[in-house]
Amino acid sequence: MLEITEGSHAVAKAVKMSRPQVIAAYPITPQTHIVETLADMVADCELDAEYITVESEFSALSACLGASAAGSRTYSATTSQGLALMFEVCFNVSGMRLPIIMTIANRALGAPLSIWNDQQDSISLRDCGWLQFYAEDNQEATDLHYIAYKVAENPDVLLPAFVCFDGFILSHTYEPVDMLSQGDVDRYLPPYKPVQRLDAADPISFGMYATPEYYLEFRYEHDQAMKRAKNAIHKAGKEFGEMFGRDYSALVEGYRLEDADTAIIAMGSICGTVKDAVDEMRTAGKKVGLLKIRCFRPFPAEEIRDALSQVKRIAVLDKNISVGAKGAVAIEVKDALYGKTIPVLGYILGLGGRDVRISDVKKIVSLAEDGKGDQFYGLRTEVL
Amino acid sequence: MCKTICPEGCIEESEEEFFIPDETYCKGCGMCAEECPSEAITMEKEEK
Amino acid sequence: MAEASCELFDCGHRACGGCGAALVSRLILKATGKDTIIVSATGCMEVFTTPYPETAWKVPWIHSLFENNSAVASGICASLKKQGRTEKVVAIGGDGSTFDIGMLCLSGAFERGHDFTYICYDNEAYMNTGIQRSGATPYDASTTTSPAGKCSKGNSRPKKDLPQILAAHGAPYVATASIAYPSDVVKKIEKAINTPGPCYVQIHAPCCTGWGFEGEKTLAIGKLAIETGLWVNFEMEDGVVTRVKKVVRKPVETYLKEQKRFRHLFKPKVNAEEIAKIQAIADKNAVKYGTDLKLKSKPDPVIP
Repeated sequence: MLEITEGSHAVAKAVKMSRPQVIAAYPITPQTHIVETLADMVADCELDAEYITVESEFSALSACLGASAAGSRTYSATTSQGLALMFEVCFNVSGMRLPIIMTIANRALGAPLSIWNDQQDSISLRDCGWLQFYAEDNQEATDLHYIAYKVAENPDVLLPAFVCFDGFILSHTYEPVDMLSQGDVDRYLPPYKPVQRLDAADPISFGMYATPEYYLEFRYEHDQAMKRAKNAIHKAGKEFGEMFGRDYSALVEGYRLEDADTAIIAMGSICGTVKDAVDEMRTAGKKVGLLKIRCFRPFPAEEIRDALSQVKRIAVLDKNISVGAKGAVAIEVKDALYGKTIPVLGYILGLGGRDVRISDVKKIVSLAEDGKGDQFYGLRTEVL
Repeated sequence: MCKTICPEGCIEESEEEFFIPDETYCKGCGMCAEECPSEAITMEKEEK
Repeated sequence: MAEASCELFDCGHRACGGCGAALVSRLILKATGKDTIIVSATGCMEVFTTPYPETAWKVPWIHSLFENNSAVASGICASLKKQGRTEKVVAIGGDGSTFDIGMLCLSGAFERGHDFTYICYDNEAYMNTGIQRSGATPYDASTTTSPAGKCSKGNSRPKKDLPQILAAHGAPYVATASIAYPSDVVKKIEKAINTPGPCYVQIHAPCCTGWGFEGEKTLAIGKLAIETGLWVNFEMEDGVVTRVKKVVRKPVETYLKEQKRFRHLFKPKVNAEEIAKIQAIADKNAVKYGTDLKLKSKPDPVIP
């Protein structure tokens, strides 16, 4: 049913309908509306979950870890500083193959302190073994939660997932969202059946230590699970499309790419702006298209290669930077296209909530056409 | 007493009610001998 | 009390010979029985019991990180509640995890009042990583990060009073115990797991390797700690001390001189000033908890 709703509220409803048994979360701007809405739902007996008001994000993810290991579907949400505080636990959760779902309302990391959007937080955790989905709009943000649970809990996968949506830009913005009904969600997402759990009837030990004779193999199996996730995403996304009319089977999505000379690669809400810019540039006669990355982990290297083999140049928009190197998406795109001679030009932009306009996207395409890349876009030199 | 306090849990009671450490698991710490009220256990150093 | 429950903790673990913490593990499972989920912090007990692919634990067991077992236990409690399951949740940590790095999660879990038991095996330093000082290290003890030296007498701070801190959180039952009195340990753990709400049991676990004494003396050293008043066995219910183990006190030297970690107080010469300070700590404990047994034959307790 179509509703005009705030992104955070839509996400909270999706989480409610996914029927988590345990929620443990710590408030942090701009995720607060999600956890507050969930608390209201529990308080009004609309959501039958144990809600733990933990004393830090570190504890939030640790509590989810315990609850998941004991056999419950669990949920948390965070961003920026909170996610950074969870760093240690993130590796622990994925290493123990616990399918926890966590919303990330992407926000810049301090120092300097910022509450505004960029993707440094989740991107900085790209090595930790969690699946990573990036939503273009609140519809995707909502739908991706059901899909994330389904993929994560797939016995072939058993990995936790971040569902990322840009802080304030999506979390605090009202958009039309088609909300599924509880019946719809129940049909799509059955109750969680853990493959292993803490149970006195069948005791096992979780989280033991592994000597050098075993560690490599654990990490190999972890990586293999992430690779198998691609198929699980295809399947879950296709099924969603068949049931509800919105197909999420692809890890990347092309927009007007078919005969493009320039391809723009981007993740998250910026894709909406890019699509509008593409439309305007197309009207003016320029052959430009967008390749949106919706799933960053596992990284869709083959899919990117297949989609872009015919373009003349690629402009990658990175709302993050690996300081001292380049934007993370640009680095991985280059790796995916290794061996091809298509120039890949990276642009660091939008950090700390710096607005990115349609005109900026057009300027970037011009820069790319001139072969000028690998730079910060939009620097205010007067401030330097 | 010895069976209770052995850190390895490797002391068993025989049918004659003697307490026997399982030598596969005994680390030779000597707590059993030290604590036994009737000095029923003695520690012997293992010579190669 | 469980039958044949020493079988719940298997032989063949990798603890040092004479390990106090190993004995604590056996006693815990004697008390809890098989319907227990153990949440372990990183540390000696976790490491010597679970070298993949072997485990000593015959009950469900989970280890996450060094500092979060209380938070993990909180999540397990919530999950069991939702599922209508009745297994007991017992979090176990060494003093390093419990007193220091795990304080955040411990305080949060106790403040929220989850129904679980936290057991700290207190060997008075970070033993697993090589005997570094913790908030539970006693005054003047030499550790690798608080070593005795030309300008140092060892650890310069007294033990953090964690039992009182947790009682102040509203814990319905808080107890201290020692492996020197194993049946007391089992009784107190049984009481803790059967008291609803967050309960805490702190068990003195002398460490032969870390404190510097022969493995066979583990229990004897534990007894001396209590007999000198440097460790007090007590119970608190709803914040009030209800039971205390009384002793005829011995001078603190009888305990200190048995351990290499206090050797600097005796060699090259006796440091009477420092020993007096440690005696004062013991005296203070005795007064605070009322541990001195007054014998009819001797009107005053033994104080040098």
